[in-house]
Amino acid sequence: MSNVPSIDKSSRFKAVQAEIGRALGALAIALVVTAVIVFLTSKSPIEALTQLFTAPIAKVRTIGLWVDDIAKLTVTGLAFSLVFQARQFAMGVQGQVYVGGIAASYVVLSPIGSTPLGLAAGVLAAMAAGALYGFLPGIAKARLGANEIVSSLMLNYIAIELCNFLMRTSLPKPQPGVLTSIDFPSESVFPALVEKTRIDLGLIFAIVSVIVVWFALYRTSWGLKLRLVGHNSRFAEYAGIKSTFIMVSAMTASGALGGLLGAMFVQGQTWGKLTVLFEGGLAFEGILVAIVARSRPLAVPIVAVFYAYLRQGAALMNVRTDVPAEVIGVVTAIIILLVSSSFSLGFVTRLFGAKPAGSAAK
Amino acid sequence: MALLEARGIGKTYPGGVVANDGVNLVIEPGEVHAVVGENGAGKSTLMKILFGIEQPNAGTLMLEGKEVRFTKPRHAIEAGIGMVFQHFSLVPSFSVYENVVMGSEPHTGITFNRKTAIAEVQALSDKFRLKVDPLPPVGTLPVGQQQRVEILKALYRNARILILDEPTAVLAPQEVQELFVAIRSLVQQGKTVIFIAHKLPEVLEISDRITVMRQGKTVGEVKTSEVTEKGLAAMMVGREVTLRVDRAPTDQSQRVADVRGLRVVNARGTEVVGGLDLTVHTGEIVGLVGVEGNGQAETLEAISGLKPIAAGEIKLLGESITGLDVLDRRGKGIASIPEDRIAQGLATGATVAENLVATRLGERRYVRNGLLDLKAIRENATKLIERFSIRVGGPDYNVSTLSGGNMQKVVVARELAEQPRLLLVNQPTRGVDLGATQFIWRTITDARDAGAAVLLSSADLHELLALSDRLLVLYRGKIVAAFINTPDLTPETLGTYMLGLATQTADEMQPALK
Repeated sequence: MSNVPSIDKSSRFKAVQAEIGRALGALAIALVVTAVIVFLTSKSPIEALTQLFTAPIAKVRTIGLWVDDIAKLTVTGLAFSLVFQARQFAMGVQGQVYVGGIAASYVVLSPIGSTPLGLAAGVLAAMAAGALYGFLPGIAKARLGANEIVSSLMLNYIAIELCNFLMRTSLPKPQPGVLTSIDFPSESVFPALVEKTRIDLGLIFAIVSVIVVWFALYRTSWGLKLRLVGHNSRFAEYAGIKSTFIMVSAMTASGALGGLLGAMFVQGQTWGKLTVLFEGGLAFEGILVAIVARSRPLAVPIVAVFYAYLRQGAALMNVRTDVPAEVIGVVTAIIILLVSSSFSLGFVTRLFGAKPAGSAAK
Repeated sequence: MALLEARGIGKTYPGGVVANDGVNLVIEPGEVHAVVGENGAGKSTLMKILFGIEQPNAGTLMLEGKEVRFTKPRHAIEAGIGMVFQHFSLVPSFSVYENVVMGSEPHTGITFNRKTAIAEVQALSDKFRLKVDPLPPVGTLPVGQQQRVEILKALYRNARILILDEPTAVLAPQEVQELFVAIRSLVQQGKTVIFIAHKLPEVLEISDRITVMRQGKTVGEVKTSEVTEKGLAAMMVGREVTLRVDRAPTDQSQRVADVRGLRVVNARGTEVVGGLDLTVHTGEIVGLVGVEGNGQAETLEAISGLKPIAAGEIKLLGESITGLDVLDRRGKGIASIPEDRIAQGLATGATVAENLVATRLGERRYVRNGLLDLKAIRENATKLIERFSIRVGGPDYNVSTLSGGNMQKVVVARELAEQPRLLLVNQPTRGVDLGATQFIWRTITDARDAGAAVLLSSADLHELLALSDRLLVLYRGKIVAAFINTPDLTPETLGTYMLGLATQTADEMQPALK
């Protein structure tokens, strides 16, 4: 280049700033569009929007729902970030949550569950099951060339139906015909951090996961190799990095996080037992969190805070007004579209005929 | 009156990169006008402006004295300008004539009139001496012929001015000569050719006038008959350059690499290297000569451990390494500079420091108990940035922020950070400017002088002739000729063997095989 853009020390900081600006810009645009839709469809739009934007922080109980969502979205966001950084498009977090939940249930409903070790045993069993479930599409890709997107999605269905099946057959139930297990022994249920809310030990697990994933990715040689494979797998091969091993191990580690999330569901204050479809479609929303966070582990919880708020706001709006929660799908879609298409706010200024300002996106 | 004139063209890209700054270009009708400059001098940007792909921020374009504005390539095409890019835009599975007429097909009613199309393409190719059969699919043709198809495409759309962007970069010497014949015939028939290049001998051979660009500006316009290669190079770089390396006499007694009966097959099962024998000694550079795709790249990849071999044995200092993986071979002292730095040599999304340490993640200096020693990694990077004068803000900058020449220096720095026993080099200076080329040549020669055995493959014969002690010509995966490099050896001689027009006998090759 004739005139290399002057690289100063702050360029990295500026890049981060620009990313944050873009994400917030996308959020703002998405919310404006949502507001328009609500105004067009609702009989009481002001009431609906008020619910969407204020309901989550209106009561201690709803704050609890919000924080619980933050913790869970963080873990699923981390699980996706880990595989995305290795440029593997494994979609198996949902399946890992189910097998994790099942494994935790069997352990805590066994005699171990009523001992002080029950809680930890449940979590470890869940993580091990999740890891195995993450390993399967990895090894299938490495050995058989099976596309990880397809195999992991199929494994999701298997896990969901397995949960369904076990619920109807072998798991102890409080009464015949219901599709929940008996309550877990109290030794194995995550203690609440704030009384009468869903804020429980899972939040601590989420915070620890953020640190562990960040450390693994940026401070260990495994993490560097993983990122190099993700940046350019041909380069990794050429440099002598065994990219197959990295790929499989990344998917396995991500599976362990998925399993942990399963334990957070069934052993947490939310349920405290196993039930069919306990995950409620949350696992997949980790994709959005990971995309907006650009797969950066430290950005994942921040994105989760915003997204969990919207998610709870939409759920409460759904219950209390005539606007369905699906409206939030519009928000999500617009955010993903804008963030992943690398838009810049310059286009907004051009739209209104103003002179495009280079700094608009920052 | 000039046919095409650019006055005071300025172009600043959104990122703040000034690609053109007050550029002037005057094209007279019926001439071959060369535009030369180093990579990043702004040649391509200027051509994109002439062809309507980019819009200038300043300046005007005049066509036959009238101001014109091209906001789309279509406008430029309608004004009679055609462009042949370095990377062709052809549909490989379509036939030659289909590619040529695509978008402006002759038709009867609503049906595509294939007969007329074939006849028209045939007529064009006869008229301009661009020999090419209109019927076979483009994908089956050699690169030189594909280029002719591109030229025919432009001519079919009645181009009066033809812009050729680095047309010789992909061609063997004989093909270059054929291209020049075609260019001369085009000019004779009233066409005007703008020829972008950075290989100066070719420019001097084909052009009438030359515009030299440097750092986004036009440095000057000269008559080809009035300049020398050296003078031109100095104008391009802004200082005197000597593209010469002195090869000191070295001790070449010890065999380092010993390859016997190497056979490599590609994914489709076709043999790409067929029973190759070669040796490389300490302190010598062996050049692998050949048109791209004749097994040079595969040979290098087989030795570095990236490509599985079908048969044969590879020995390093007498010890077989055939069964070792890439990392183990690196551990034995093999370093390699790959063909394509962006596709293979670097992780451009990662930082300079990470790229510089990527091949040494097994060493205790940088990794202990699985944990990275970030301090040591940064120090390593700082040291190498200094030693190889890489222009970058610091170790933590992403490689993607570097220019092509500096990216290549990162690759070279990593591979030559420690003196290798065997250095495998493929296209070390492709798309790299003169200054960096000079530096990279020096570095490779230094490694040789210090006792490394070097196996070099390059599409640039001048590079091979400048660096190599011995040259092996590969054709279809076999050695067809071997030479000891002497000043008498010319690109033309090599070209005859490269194209498979001749083969040396075993006795002729013997002295250069050692």
